[in-house]
Amino acid sequence: MAQPHQVVPGPVVRRARVPVPRWALAALILGASVPGAAAEQPADTGAGDQPGLSQECRVPGAQLYTMAKLGAVRTALGENRPLRILAIGGSAAPGASASYPAKLEAALERALPKTDVSIDHRGLPGEIASGAAERLRTMVAEAEPDLVVWQVGTHDAIARVDADAFASALSEAVAWIRSHGIDVVLVDPIYTASMAADVDYNRIVEAVRTVAAQQQVPLVRRYEALHYLSSRSDKSEGHMLGRQFRLNDLGLRCMAEHVALTIATSLMRTDPAPDPKAAPGAPPLTEPQRAPG
Amino acid sequence: MRDPNAIDFWRGFALVTIFVNHIPGNTFERYTFSQYGISDAAELFVFLAGWSIGIATRRRDGTPEPAGQSVVRLLARTVEVYRAQLTVMLLALALIAGSALLLDNPLILEWHNAGGFFADPIQSVCGMALMTYQLGFFNILPLYVVLIGIAPIFVLVGRVSLIAALALSGAIYLASLVFEWNVPSWPGEGDWFFDPFCWQVLLVLGFVLQGWNLRSDTLRRWSRRLIPAGVVIVILGIALAVTGLRPDPLMVPEPRLLFTFEKTYLTPARLLHFLGVLLAFAPLYAFLAPRIGGVGRYLSQLGRNSLAVFSMGSILSLIGQLVRFQTGGGVLVDMLVAGSGLVGLGFTAWFVEWRSRTKSSRARS
Repeated sequence: MAQPHQVVPGPVVRRARVPVPRWALAALILGASVPGAAAEQPADTGAGDQPGLSQECRVPGAQLYTMAKLGAVRTALGENRPLRILAIGGSAAPGASASYPAKLEAALERALPKTDVSIDHRGLPGEIASGAAERLRTMVAEAEPDLVVWQVGTHDAIARVDADAFASALSEAVAWIRSHGIDVVLVDPIYTASMAADVDYNRIVEAVRTVAAQQQVPLVRRYEALHYLSSRSDKSEGHMLGRQFRLNDLGLRCMAEHVALTIATSLMRTDPAPDPKAAPGAPPLTEPQRAPG
Repeated sequence: MRDPNAIDFWRGFALVTIFVNHIPGNTFERYTFSQYGISDAAELFVFLAGWSIGIATRRRDGTPEPAGQSVVRLLARTVEVYRAQLTVMLLALALIAGSALLLDNPLILEWHNAGGFFADPIQSVCGMALMTYQLGFFNILPLYVVLIGIAPIFVLVGRVSLIAALALSGAIYLASLVFEWNVPSWPGEGDWFFDPFCWQVLLVLGFVLQGWNLRSDTLRRWSRRLIPAGVVIVILGIALAVTGLRPDPLMVPEPRLLFTFEKTYLTPARLLHFLGVLLAFAPLYAFLAPRIGGVGRYLSQLGRNSLAVFSMGSILSLIGQLVRFQTGGGVLVDMLVAGSGLVGLGFTAWFVEWRSRTKSSRARS
């Protein structure tokens, strides 16, 4: 394959803005509809079979996401109404934050043709384990979305919240959102070399993964993806703030694409179910689901 | 300098509580009263600000100072608080950016939504000046600027009738709850963490109650009679906080905000809980004051210099968070962080008073 393994920043960034052609989308859909194609994708080096991703963002599927059903999103698509998404979590790369919601919208509208996507983007400062989960409920009640895309864990990691307390609070919050027939996609914290050996930090990342598995919601494995990208771009150019900052920047630029791909592939796995109550992924609307443990 | 008194004491108490609660995850957090009820120290702080406006604009006998003087006084205070907000924001951003650089850790940039500032500095610097861009935990001062900025309206109406001032304030409060009025954030979507349209009711309540308290004995008599009701509310609050029971914002009837427990909108449940806390604990000062000596003097000194102490407290709590993060926390670190923070707050108060003393003595000589 003529996949360039070294990322050359300039042209690639520009290429990322070029809309993905229709054939690429078809390939994505075909590729994903093969059972297990995405989740158990062999980590083939270049990950060249992900036309939904721009070159600099390519990460093998196994390292990028885990899938789960998205009943509410499927229902919204089935009813031909705009897909309302509440995107939670900020980002700190120069120029990245303002464009994240716009990029996510564009990437999703590419991946889900004929769908109108509207995104509410909110920051959620504070710890999930104390207070922020309450604030999240307010945001969800205000936005009444079909899907919550939640970058979670950073604040709790910084506040050195105990990973178990974090996991149970997160689990409860996710269960609450889902009990109202709203889908959730979790995004775990970023990878940065300065935190790679930090035990607490890794436990928070692990906790997000565990909760996603328990609650059966899709997970964008941002930590793994960035880790992969960092190993690939070892010899890459310096950034004026040092390599970690450059990596952070890249990770945030790629996030919208990674989230869109996760949603699109998860949707392929979701049975078309006009009635959300019938979808096995969606718990009953009336009975608030309690967090396990 | 005024002697220790109940208002300064409770204000100092609120300042210490806010300082500890702003170092999330620390050991002492769970010993603050905020963990055991629906409302917390923010309510106390705003209510006492209103009470203090009453003290500042009325004489001992209850007669108000000239209207112009009150307006200028409040305007000057607004400018002072605004200046503090800008200073604190700049220092906080510099602390966050500096630590990220020093520790080569971009994760720190996402702290308290600071990421937005570094991502979009052009919009954010405008937002900072407009106070529509706020950092997490740094959102009380913007509220305070707006509240003191609009206080002259209520102070002037209050000269005609305190009931009218309270009715006006209550009407705005209810309308904001029903129609979900709030000040938008910018850049970035969302609204202010403390909705000034709702929180003004507490400031005006403090101002009005101070007036009634001066005028007659009725308020004091009634607050004594209602102590049992306050105690019941406090116990109920503890039960709700411990069990984690609260209304589900997606299940309550419309208008939603009349029923939920949201801090942003100072919802009725929080307001009621705060009034209960006030009734139950206000008489405690008279009992405590002679028994706690130094602690009382320390808290009163903090309360007398609340703006400086609050500002320094925000910065110290951020430093405390950074220290906890870098060291990994633990009881020992928490003791060190909280201990040096309390000393720092005390020093700030002492320093402000020392400076104003030397200034005035120099002016005299």
